[in-house]
Amino acid sequence: MPFQVSTLHFLLFASALFAVGAYGVLARRNLLIVLMSLELMLNGVNVALVAFGLRLSANASGQVFVLMVMAVAAAEVAVGLAIVISVFRTRHTVDTHDLRSLSG
Amino acid sequence: MTTAVFAGAATVALVSALLMVTRRNPIYSAVWLLVSFICVAVVFLVLQAPFLAAIHVLVYTGAILVLFLFVIMLLNLRDDELGEEYPLAVRILVAGLCAVLFLVLAVPISRDPSLREPLSALTPGDGSVEAVGRVLFNTYGLQFELVSVLIIVAMLGSMILAKKTLKV
Repeated sequence: MPFQVSTLHFLLFASALFAVGAYGVLARRNLLIVLMSLELMLNGVNVALVAFGLRLSANASGQVFVLMVMAVAAAEVAVGLAIVISVFRTRHTVDTHDLRSLSG
Repeated sequence: MTTAVFAGAATVALVSALLMVTRRNPIYSAVWLLVSFICVAVVFLVLQAPFLAAIHVLVYTGAILVLFLFVIMLLNLRDDELGEEYPLAVRILVAGLCAVLFLVLAVPISRDPSLREPLSALTPGDGSVEAVGRVLFNTYGLQFELVSVLIIVAMLGSMILAKKTLKV
């Protein structure tokens, strides 16, 4: 039997995308790139939701969940970028390490 | 055929995601993120979700990525304003942690034999506008309305936050 793609491969792809996004969130200090990596993590979750939806349910529930995640991602990125603009205006930096006035 | 398309799209998506998290300048990151998003849309097509693939391209590349590019151009960061990055040792350590995270996610699902059924053996999914719309408005009507409230709040919030007169 030739190699055929299965749900497992989609889930592995989703996990890899999530892990790469997590690296971007943890290892980068540029606020813009941290936000982009968050989008990457949400993408990984979306792929997993659609793959499980195809595997487990006859209707399109998994895809509806992905629509909700996309709406939340859009809201998150709008607010996040507004905060980045506001921070840059007051402090002239996008480095997360310069934003420590709450750490005492 | 689907196997080849998935393999190609997944490889390009992962490579461009890696390039995206390692670029220093956010504008290059944004372009690699664009490549990655388009490949994820192709993966949605392989997963028999054409409506979702179209919405993914519209929302992620059409709205979110354009918003990122607007903000990058608005800030117009010079090289010294990009900030510093962690030293190489810290980055390698975090990369190791993320590899562990991947293994924690991947090893349990690899052990489940029921996930190894080929895609062609599953019941074909219905990802048409009609199928998604029926589930969305019949079963998840309340959640749909709540999401619209969330988007309005986010829109107002971002407008207030980005105002010039905001005093911190």
